[in-house]
Amino acid sequence: MSRHVVETDLALYAAGDLPVWRSAQVNLHVRRCEECRDLLEALRADRKELRRSADDMPANVDWDQLAAEMTANIRVGLAAGECVTPRERKVPAISWRPAAIAAGLVMLMAGAWWLNIPRTDTEAIGRAIRNMATGGRAILPQEESGPVVGASASGVKLVENGGQMGIEQSGLHPVMYSVSTQGSASARYVDQETGQVTITAVYDQ
Amino acid sequence: MTNKIYIAIAVSALSLHAQGLNHKIDFPKDSPVSVLSADFGNSNATARGANLIEVNAALSLRNSGQKRIRSMTLMVSAPDAVGKGSVSVPTLDAGPGETFSVHIGTRLVRPLAAGNPVVEVTLDGVLFDDLSFFGPDMLHSQRSMIMWELEAQRDRKYFKSLLATAGAEGLRNGMLSSLARQGDSSQRGVQMVRGRATNLDAERETQFAFLEIPESPVEASNGMARIGASLAGAPRFEVRNRSNRAVQHLEISWIVKDQQGREFLAASMPADLKLAPNQSGQVAQDAALRFDRPVSIQSMSGFVSSVEFADGTQWIPSRSALDQPGLRPLVAPSPEEQRLSQIYNKRGLQALIEELKKF
Repeated sequence: MSRHVVETDLALYAAGDLPVWRSAQVNLHVRRCEECRDLLEALRADRKELRRSADDMPANVDWDQLAAEMTANIRVGLAAGECVTPRERKVPAISWRPAAIAAGLVMLMAGAWWLNIPRTDTEAIGRAIRNMATGGRAILPQEESGPVVGASASGVKLVENGGQMGIEQSGLHPVMYSVSTQGSASARYVDQETGQVTITAVYDQ
Repeated sequence: MTNKIYIAIAVSALSLHAQGLNHKIDFPKDSPVSVLSADFGNSNATARGANLIEVNAALSLRNSGQKRIRSMTLMVSAPDAVGKGSVSVPTLDAGPGETFSVHIGTRLVRPLAAGNPVVEVTLDGVLFDDLSFFGPDMLHSQRSMIMWELEAQRDRKYFKSLLATAGAEGLRNGMLSSLARQGDSSQRGVQMVRGRATNLDAERETQFAFLEIPESPVEASNGMARIGASLAGAPRFEVRNRSNRAVQHLEISWIVKDQQGREFLAASMPADLKLAPNQSGQVAQDAALRFDRPVSIQSMSGFVSSVEFADGTQWIPSRSALDQPGLRPLVAPSPEEQRLSQIYNKRGLQALIEELKKF
């Protein structure tokens, strides 16, 4: 004997809701299987009983309106509940650990920058950022692509490709300084005690 | 977290550490100057992304030659470092066997390299009292050293003549006048960019007036330069050799006047050019000056400050030529005038008179 028909298929068969091909298969099986035939009869009896109970319901009930009213009542109830219950504000939990890790990373990055990036490069980047912010109008670049020699009250200096050379006389201020258009800068110092004059200079080549 | 702090400290310690600084003093074997001692005690090198080298050295030197030394230039350099530096003593008077000292204070930044950084101090040149020269002259210091000596001779002669004609009081007045001038000199920090005259925003061509020095063997004229906000550049001018000797080098002093009427010496413009007698030429330089404080330039001027002839001899303006109105306050006193005025200031008139008598 073949396998019994599952109960759901029998229930659908009893209601006439099975597809045609499956319905024929169930019909063929039920004819030969007493057990399934008994179950099918039981399902048909239940169905008749349910239909009889439905006939006892009040007449002219609008089921759609009834459903809408029930839904509305449920919503009103939920809204009223929110009004009388103090609302708990959800505060995102902030842990100190990510903040501490971020601060540590920032300090580490700043330290690594300070240790490993020459000051001239830092200054150049700062100037570039300022130039971008001002559209390159307000800030004059201090370093060109080529060498720059400079003379000032702090001595003479050559800056080129991130490297630099400065010459000063410890503790002395130059009494005069100048640059030459052939690429040098010089500063003159006078020893206050001996009067000896020292001239320092830097050359870009 | 604690472990991370330890790691950061360890990284810092490894990255920022003082390195030993090797130094090398290299004078030619036949040098008329010998090194008695060299103290590099306060020198050091620090690795911080690059080598930060600070040289603080005191050299004790001796004139081991037979002539009196008037000036000396030492070249300071480091392998892989940009450019070169020099330390010159222009007012020496060191006889044979006499000693003198030179202090070198240099700060270098060069790329990191394996091994301890090395600083080299070499002799670039020595000028004697007969204007003869010894040295490789890698920095073309001979020309400057001869000019310093000519200025020294000129100024000593001037002050001696004051003493001879006006007595000690005349010399005192001359010194006071010199000291006042040195105190009044206004200077501006300036940078020079060579090879490209950039950032001459809103630039305009401006004429370059030349102060006439009748005795100058070279006449400069028709000067033009472009000026912008706190910038001046691309100077060009014509020159004419009005002497009967060939010229091979000249130097123009460049004076800038701001909108408030203040004038200051901005730069010198050396030019190498061959000029036969009565020949004219043109000088154009692709260079720009940038002032470290805002300067609104009103006008510019210049004057011929030195000329070198083909035989290596030089012309410099006389004291009387420099005394013309508008020029004297702008022209820097010579190194010798500053030395003499310092002697007067520190040790008095009699010490100055004794010093002048040595020459």
